[in-house]
Amino acid sequence: MSRRVAIIATGQTKHTARRPDVNIRELVTEAVARALQDADLTMRDIDAVLLGNMEPFEGFLFPELWAIEGWGGYMKPSVKFNTGGTVGTTTAIAAYYYVASGIYDVVMAVGFQKQSEGHTQTAITTVGDPIWERSVMAGAIGNFAVMATTYMHESGVTEEQAAKAAVKARRNACLNEYAHLQMPDITVEDVLKSEMLAYPVKRLDMCPQSDGAVAVIFAEESKAQKLCPRPAWVKAVATAHEQQYMGDSPKRLAEMRSLIAASRRAYQAAGITNPRRELDVAEIYEVASFAELAMYENLGFCERGQGGKLIDAGVTELTGELPVNPSGGVMSTNPIGATALIRVAEAALQIMGKAGRRQVEGARTALATGYGGNAWTDVIILSREKP
Amino acid sequence: MSEESPTLRVDFLLDTEYQYAVGQYGTQFFTELRDRARFMGVRCPECGRVYIPPRPVCGICYRELHEWVEVGPEGTIVGWTVVRIPFIDPMTGEQRPVPYGFAIIRLDGASTSLYHFLDETDERQIRVGQRVRAVFREKREGSLRDVLYFRLLGE
Amino acid sequence: MSEWVVRQKIRIPFRYTAGRAMARFLTGLAERHLWATRCESCGRVYVPPLGFCGRCWREITEWRELPAEGELVSYTVRPTEPPQILGLIRLDGADTQLVHRLGEVEPKELEHVRRVRAVWREDRTGSILDIAYFAPVR
Repeated sequence: MSRRVAIIATGQTKHTARRPDVNIRELVTEAVARALQDADLTMRDIDAVLLGNMEPFEGFLFPELWAIEGWGGYMKPSVKFNTGGTVGTTTAIAAYYYVASGIYDVVMAVGFQKQSEGHTQTAITTVGDPIWERSVMAGAIGNFAVMATTYMHESGVTEEQAAKAAVKARRNACLNEYAHLQMPDITVEDVLKSEMLAYPVKRLDMCPQSDGAVAVIFAEESKAQKLCPRPAWVKAVATAHEQQYMGDSPKRLAEMRSLIAASRRAYQAAGITNPRRELDVAEIYEVASFAELAMYENLGFCERGQGGKLIDAGVTELTGELPVNPSGGVMSTNPIGATALIRVAEAALQIMGKAGRRQVEGARTALATGYGGNAWTDVIILSREKP
Repeated sequence: MSEESPTLRVDFLLDTEYQYAVGQYGTQFFTELRDRARFMGVRCPECGRVYIPPRPVCGICYRELHEWVEVGPEGTIVGWTVVRIPFIDPMTGEQRPVPYGFAIIRLDGASTSLYHFLDETDERQIRVGQRVRAVFREKREGSLRDVLYFRLLGE
Repeated sequence: MSEWVVRQKIRIPFRYTAGRAMARFLTGLAERHLWATRCESCGRVYVPPLGFCGRCWREITEWRELPAEGELVSYTVRPTEPPQILGLIRLDGADTQLVHRLGEVEPKELEHVRRVRAVWREDRTGSILDIAYFAPVR
């Protein structure tokens, strides 16, 4: 039987377009130092470190090697994950497994990316199969664009409704001292007028590229209770993948097969039957505005086709019934190797009551999701109550 | 640490050549495309899905695939876009020319869809559900480039 | 069995950041200085310098300049024409070793070489190649 695990501390860098003042090692050290300080632990107290990062954006074979002394790797057990956009949540889920197994007591998950050193859309295009997809594909922007037209057709969602998600994200980000894009005055009209990248995705509909790092510390039950006044207990985790080609699940936003599968499994394990009512806050991996609305539907926050209406009604605003991405989400901050782990960190901060100006009052149950690869999904549910 | 140290950047071009094996199923597909200008998929004996690109296993049923089926040359647009943002093409290290239109196209008879170019860059002319037809090159070499693009049909 | 293969390139440009410590090291090379850092806790002297000791997990603030000379710890000869020689060099005062080219020496002489010194290029730009090679101290 697996034992109870909680998140007891987090640490993040201030995410930004470029950190030319630091190399990868120095960037990672900042986040790790903050997490250790948050936990009041030293590197000696960490039993294992798990890394998440995507090499093609850094341009060499082992970015974790180049950062190793910064994340405490010297003589320590460690494993590195690269699963695309899901890498942050995959690393978190692995940290949970490491501790739940009983083999390690305190495990740190670290996600990082120094995206300014490479070319993101170029590197992402190599995700496309070289023989079947690569010459047509246009990075993540192109992929989300072709998915968004299908979603708009099936759901009736409009560019204006999607723009509302983009506005919510950048306004929420102003309450988050770590967020990259903070735009207090952004309006729906600003989004609609922004440069068209690939129809219907406009510049302000899309996430940025960021340099950043995050560290999250997981501990077994007795240590968690000793070290943290209000730990965020891991209630459920789930992972699901897709078939191999982009066209195998052509309606990848309208019907997010892996998100539906993983979220239903996680809800069942957590005893949740009405996510909209029973979740207090959600940090979801929304690469673009249209994706956020599609995720509302596929996560069961509303019926199919109602994603636009949900945001129109203000349900997912910070003051709404189910705040989604009070941190500003991926649309405000996206250092890919870190991004999904930032969702976990932010969800944990909500449970721990340490989310500052973006705190959702009385948050007891939080959802964090990761998205990446070819529409892969990770889901994590955290709770104030022990499972 | 000395804060006056200037920030140094070091440039590096990752420039590697790969040799990707097409595989037995890909060979069959591209041979038919090159020699007979037609698209071949494979059908799963359990769920009935017809796969393009063809492959040895149905990932959903985990059954081996052996039944070849002709699909297309017409199909339907499932999703589309017109790429306007310039980006560096990883296949060349240079900018890929924009704008260009591309779509997720379900060929008639296939269960899965393909990415391919459209010969249209006016967003107002393209919509989900539109019918398209493959336009083949005269001289084909056995690759998806043997299809120049998909032409929008009808209204 | 078909052995059909498609040849294709992946070409992506990158621009790496040196970071604080490495930036000072590289700019130092342009002035023919070899900068190192020393961890106050374990006493290890790092060159190229690190701003952080991974063994002690603490920041390093002590800098020192090392002579451009040291012990040849090991070497290898690449069978190119002419042969390229790479050496592992421990500069005097350093705990870590540098990899660099060796010059002004024939492969067959290498087993007798104990000490080497840096030979600087005329045109230096702030790169490890500002040292053209290390030559035997004779």
